[in-house]
Amino acid sequence: MKERMDPIAQPAMAQAIEAMWVKFLPLMEERLAILEAAETALSSGLLTIEQRVAANTAAHKLAGVLGTFGLTKGTILAREVEILYSAEPELDPAAAREIKKITAQLREMIDCRKAASHNDCV
Amino acid sequence: MDAEVLGLSHRILIIDDEDDIREVAALSLESVAGWEVATANSGAQGVTRAAEFKPEAILLDVMMPGMDGPTTFRALRSNPATSHIPVLLLTAKVQSNDQRRFADLGVEAVLFKPFDPMTLSTQIAEVLGWK
Repeated sequence: MKERMDPIAQPAMAQAIEAMWVKFLPLMEERLAILEAAETALSSGLLTIEQRVAANTAAHKLAGVLGTFGLTKGTILAREVEILYSAEPELDPAAAREIKKITAQLREMIDCRKAASHNDCV
Repeated sequence: MDAEVLGLSHRILIIDDEDDIREVAALSLESVAGWEVATANSGAQGVTRAAEFKPEAILLDVMMPGMDGPTTFRALRSNPATSHIPVLLLTAKVQSNDQRRFADLGVEAVLFKPFDPMTLSTQIAEVLGWK
């Protein structure tokens, strides 16, 4: 069995997580773009089943990871969108308005996180 | 003498199709806990990697394309080389019916995403009785 490595200090770990955030930011943007496209289609009454499934998956993935990068509120918002997209059967106007609002909040949060530390974006 | 007494590292396999989750989890377990980590980006790859790497535990994502977490878990259990390895499911599903379904599979524990990279290893160690 391999010997235990020396654990790195917390600031160094925080720096490493920050580097991961930068590395995976395009993936976050990709997931958010799926949500935005679905929301636009929903607002126009043109949301397809495929778009809805993709939006549900993108929201699920964002919910699973944003908190790991310090965006706990982002996880909560993404989870709300996931629940709305997975609700049966039709998305009513109230749900569509909610999705529009939350999707915009997620965009704002990720844009903020791009420019600042997560402590400034919660 | 066991690994704990010797102060040695543990070996853990992470199976997750999401690059960000897999890499942050690996970074966390390697850097914070000093564990030896192997990764796989699909259930099928994970089953093969588990037999080769012989981890002491497996962290397994639930929602993956192709072989999902429960299917991968059953494949691991049906292989004598991996059937004894404790499996911890990692999921972003928080609804109670999902949690019951996962617990009924016979996994060691269900951990939830998002995880805190600073404490993930502690969570795993507590579940597995590693100190």
